[in-house]
Amino acid sequence: MQLFAIFWRKQTVILERTLNRLIINGEVDISALNGKTIGFSLQDLPLDVHFICTNDRVFVLSVTDKLTDVNVKLTPTVFIYLLHGKDLTELLIQDKISIHGDVKTAQLLVDLLKEVDIDLEEMTSKYTGDTIANQLVKLTKKFNLTDIQSNNPLEIIKNWMSTFVNQSN
Amino acid sequence: MKNTTHFGFKQVATNDKQSLVRDVFNSVASKYDLMNDVLSFGAHRLWKRYTIASSNVKAGDKVLDIAGGTGDLAIEFREKAGDNGQVILSDINAAMLNEGRKNLTNKGVFGVAFVQLNAQYLPFDNNTFDCVSIAFGLRNVTDKDQALTEMYRILKPGGCLLILEFSTTDSAFLKKIYDFYSFNIMPIIGGIIADDEASYQYLAESIRKHPDQETLKYMVLDAGFDFCEYHNLSGGIVALHKGIKV
Ligand SMILES: C[S@@+](CC[C@H](N)C(=O)[O-])C[C@H]1O[C@@H](n2cnc3c(N)ncnc32)[C@H](O)[C@@H]1O
Repeated sequence: MQLFAIFWRKQTVILERTLNRLIINGEVDISALNGKTIGFSLQDLPLDVHFICTNDRVFVLSVTDKLTDVNVKLTPTVFIYLLHGKDLTELLIQDKISIHGDVKTAQLLVDLLKEVDIDLEEMTSKYTGDTIANQLVKLTKKFNLTDIQSNNPLEIIKNWMSTFVNQSN
Repeated sequence: MKNTTHFGFKQVATNDKQSLVRDVFNSVASKYDLMNDVLSFGAHRLWKRYTIASSNVKAGDKVLDIAGGTGDLAIEFREKAGDNGQVILSDINAAMLNEGRKNLTNKGVFGVAFVQLNAQYLPFDNNTFDCVSIAFGLRNVTDKDQALTEMYRILKPGGCLLILEFSTTDSAFLKKIYDFYSFNIMPIIGGIIADDEASYQYLAESIRKHPDQETLKYMVLDAGFDFCEYHNLSGGIVALHKGIKV
């Protein structure tokens, strides 16, 4: 579970950087979202994200202990539908998505996410399929192997440090 | 404020801590960068790179690096903030700040301002900076809560605080090795390279006395920040806390 969290945080950093690059390049305009905090939860998965739009920048955090202006709850599949242009109101009517707060703000955020050129769909599906589980097993094996192979405490620390930092970058 | 506080594992008069910390950094200043590379096996560069990547700093931003020492973060911030931005490298210690100035000059980095200051009393107006950072500095500050409140005050709404600091690993295995390394090997290397075993003993002890990830997160929130989250690096040996003022 901890490795899960590390993996997810890495994605939020990438998402945050990408969104802010779009803002700096003038490719998206977040003025309508300024001052808003939006919670986005993908049900059944430990994927809660907070988008904090302020001062013409977006922070993407994985914290959950704070009330947001708008809270969007949906399943990964519905999230993918949204990214493919499915209408938010329609999904709301079909009860496939739950929104607490202003629907317009949620729609603006979805529009913003559509502009992101990283593969959010791929990112999300990683958590739904076996891919991530396989990756985690591989990683865990790698850590253990490294530790067993080295008898030198300095080497062990060095390996742990570089493996973890590389993961986090 | 309490009358006594910790200086590593020792209990000292609160008023004395600052000068004891000053002695440590006066003593290690000239060898600081070399020691950082040796003791962390270069990993501190990756931790700092991750901090910069998480900073959201853009051209034109105003950035304050507190306890900035030899200026690793300031150099990167300067590049991100560009000529229209402003980057201040600050530290309480003149010897460290001088090393920072030399380092930046040697690397051909210009346009960074240098300010000698105590993190507890920041001589700037409210709502001045887009980003405030402190790397491996907070654990040396006597009154951390006061320093965090000051950082919150000088950040603009939408501004972000980055605290990179040694923290607590919850891997028992890693903790064992790390304890052995920091209490038995680190001071010896400090003795050999910087001719100062005691200062590196203090550095190891001060890491253990520093609040863990969750405690620091709530300290950041208590200082007024609207959001705070942390990312563990190297299994929690180091953590990056990010506080946001909305
Ligand atoms: C371990 S060094 C970190 C230097 C640099 N940030 C880095 O990451 O390489 C800690 C620095 O904190 C500074 N420092 C200690 N107490 C301070 C305070 N109260 N206010 C500002 N700086 C302080 C020291 O002088 C020292 O330069």
